[in-house]
Amino acid sequence: MTTATASRYAAEYQTIASSLPGQSLPWLQQLRREALEQFSAQGFPSPREEEWRYTNVSAIEKKLFTPSLTLTAGYIDAEWVKIHQLDEAWSVVLVNGHFSAELSVLTDLPEAVLVMSMAEALASHSDKVENYLGKAAPHKEHGFIAFNAAWFSDGLFVHVPAKLVLDRPIQLLNLVSDSDAIATTRNIIIAEEMAEIKVIEMFIGTDCAYLTTAVTEVFVEKNANVTLHKMQSESDKAYHFGGCYIKQARDSRFTHHNFAFGGLLARCDIHVDLDHASECELNGLYLGAKRQHIDNHTRITHLKPHGISRELYKGVLDDRARGVFQGRVIVAEDAQKTDSQMNNRNLLLSNDAEADTKPQLEIYADDVKCAHGVTVGQLDEKSIFYLQSRCVNEETARNMLTFAFANEMVDKINIKSFHDKVLEQVLLRFPQEGVNKEWL
Amino acid sequence: MSASAQEINNLISQDYKQGFVTELETDTFPPGLDEAVIHRLSKIKNEPEFMLEYRLKAFRHWQTMKSPEWAFVNFEPIDYQAISYYSAPKRKEDGPKSLDEIDPQILEAYKKLGIPLDEQERLAGVAVDAVFDSVSVATTFKGKLKDAGVIFCPISEALREHPDLIKQYLGSVVPHTDNYFAALNAAVFTDGSFVYIPKGVRCPMELSTYFRINAANTGQFERTLIIADEGSHVSYLEGCTAPMRDENQLHAAVVELVAMKDAVIKYSTVQNWYPGDKNGLGGIYNFVTKRADCRGENSKVSWTQVETGSAITWKYPSCVLTGDNSTGEFYSVALTNNYQQADTGTKMIHIGKNTSSTIISKGISAGRAQNTYRGLVKVLKSAENARNYTQCDSLLVGDKCGAHTFPYIEVKQPSAQVEHEATTSKISEDQLFFCQQRGLSAEDAVSMIVNGFCKEVFRELPMEFAVEAQALLGLSLEGSVG
Repeated sequence: MTTATASRYAAEYQTIASSLPGQSLPWLQQLRREALEQFSAQGFPSPREEEWRYTNVSAIEKKLFTPSLTLTAGYIDAEWVKIHQLDEAWSVVLVNGHFSAELSVLTDLPEAVLVMSMAEALASHSDKVENYLGKAAPHKEHGFIAFNAAWFSDGLFVHVPAKLVLDRPIQLLNLVSDSDAIATTRNIIIAEEMAEIKVIEMFIGTDCAYLTTAVTEVFVEKNANVTLHKMQSESDKAYHFGGCYIKQARDSRFTHHNFAFGGLLARCDIHVDLDHASECELNGLYLGAKRQHIDNHTRITHLKPHGISRELYKGVLDDRARGVFQGRVIVAEDAQKTDSQMNNRNLLLSNDAEADTKPQLEIYADDVKCAHGVTVGQLDEKSIFYLQSRCVNEETARNMLTFAFANEMVDKINIKSFHDKVLEQVLLRFPQEGVNKEWL
Repeated sequence: MSASAQEINNLISQDYKQGFVTELETDTFPPGLDEAVIHRLSKIKNEPEFMLEYRLKAFRHWQTMKSPEWAFVNFEPIDYQAISYYSAPKRKEDGPKSLDEIDPQILEAYKKLGIPLDEQERLAGVAVDAVFDSVSVATTFKGKLKDAGVIFCPISEALREHPDLIKQYLGSVVPHTDNYFAALNAAVFTDGSFVYIPKGVRCPMELSTYFRINAANTGQFERTLIIADEGSHVSYLEGCTAPMRDENQLHAAVVELVAMKDAVIKYSTVQNWYPGDKNGLGGIYNFVTKRADCRGENSKVSWTQVETGSAITWKYPSCVLTGDNSTGEFYSVALTNNYQQADTGTKMIHIGKNTSSTIISKGISAGRAQNTYRGLVKVLKSAENARNYTQCDSLLVGDKCGAHTFPYIEVKQPSAQVEHEATTSKISEDQLFFCQQRGLSAEDAVSMIVNGFCKEVFRELPMEFAVEAQALLGLSLEGSVG
């Protein structure tokens, strides 16, 4: 990126710095300063960088988004928020990157569990935050993380103590209501030994251009189990960067369900570090239409032996949409007996759609089982023929198969209310004809 | 398998058999590269004026470029001023007219390598162009080929005798601006083979070039151009070796293939440059640009490569599938041992309708080697019904080596079918146990399993080469079992 843009942001930073949370914490001030310096020097990533090869973020640079300094919940219709809130979940609502206590629902939380806004956590549990902030997502990684570290205005902080199983999920609802706004949030989720937790991240915005950069750091301690869901249905004009960086301790489990539906330009990073005998499962579905550009970038690093990773990403691309998938599996020298599988399937529905996919295996150990597979293509003609031979007309057959292709990923969700929300979004995207909703 | 440890140690110390040096009087340029060197080079080769201009243009462009760093290999920066760009055995004014006039030392060297420059020899069905350092020393069966209308000669000769063909095709597949090493090659290439198969001709025998680096402190920059005109068919083989030296030598070649309508080109390589010793000292840097253009309808290009040598291999034989219904194939076995590094693969660019490509890549990594498959499959919007199948398998032998797979897939055409599969594994204990229980030694068992692993690729090699490749594979792997 041009350093001009970087310095423009850097100059603006000075005017807002004093309003960012954690002013009284020297360690955070230092971290923000370092991140800002790094961002000023290199800016947002360019497609010349291997990891950004297929995604050009120069459109973001051309616009200058402004952070909203305070909570402007007044603009948000509480009823509208309620539609998106899940019945069975504790709900944390961030509006334009600021926590809204009014809209959030946090009653009946078990006492030992901490669920609060990042600003509050920095005020009341700063030593805890210090131990984790930036540990899974080092700002050196790339410009967006550095930007996020310097600018984040709020976020979610969750700490679940050892051996505690949260029976209800926690929903993090990110809303953006202002045109040309930046919502920069940083979330930290910690599941101590043998704890279990489910978190749902949702990104929703009103119909205007804005930029979200959200970085989530997840720490899954020994034997703990974390399931993270993400549904990104930003406005069609919005820019989205969402990064999720996970550190797993031994024997832990992590599952991610990633649904990328919205945004004009959306990039999602998921980086998992696996310790001894830990397991991770990454599932993803991206639906692109119009001129959308959706990039999913995953990296699984097996650092210790006996790790298991499973990954399945599916994409359906229509109109002029471009879908990018990059999946990298690294098996370190010590990580013998690693078992890793990755799959990426793309369905192109239009002549102008494009799929770019780059699965990578980087293996430094010998006793491993690693495989990856990629397909790009159309619906199976034989399946269509079969349905036609059963008196289903061709168009319906195509609709059914396309829907079924996508629905496989939706079916993996086992939180009913979230499942229905995602299904609703998927159904919106496909022609309804022939898809019998009673089957679902 | 510890029982065979002693045996393994014996095998590990086996020498690179082609590592001898032939003592010869040579004409060698002093190290260094500037425009004067290129003028001199062009003059020595007695080249037409347009060639000198082409070289200078490429050289000037090269000076503006930077050495690429994206490959998964590590090496010290190369000092291009420390390399000599021309080295040729001394010979009489006119050059040898027949085999009898070739320096017996050179003949001896080729004999040692098992390459028959004698037309009566065992491999009588193969015409050989022997390139020794910077010059071609002999080309066999010229007469017989001429009768069929096939032109097979050193490229420096083609420059003088067939300038029109050169003007038309040289640089048309790999332009001098293509990449750093291609630009360098365009500026300083010295020799290589030129093949032209006229319309409707099926080349009566296999064509082959044998590259040998002999002199120290030189780089070899060869250029090969193969043109298969409408409806023709040719099979071309390439082999290479070099002496054992402690310093690294650079080999930067460019190979261009042009297949017109209904033409078929089969290009096979058995690359056995000196890989360096077991501590990673010395060896050839093999930085090669190979590309085929399937210009005509129904044309077909098939690359087969067995890469066992070189300290660093960096090459991506590619197919640009321009013609409708054209086919590209890539079969590769890359074996790395000790400290060898290989970053190799292919590019398939689908432009025409109904184009299809197949990629089968087998990587074997042993010792402390790093073996990378890097491939691009690109389907442009015009390539309706394009089809690609890619399979890359990696086999790991030993726990210090690395095997990496970096495929890039870019599809802009919905009717395209692109499939990619990759696996990485080691030789399973069960397979080994089964073989041993049937009375095979651990060594033989591994060799058998590895050969089975590579079978799909060896099947594509011409028979004589397949035998050589299998033996080579066995030799390169020996000592790494355990």
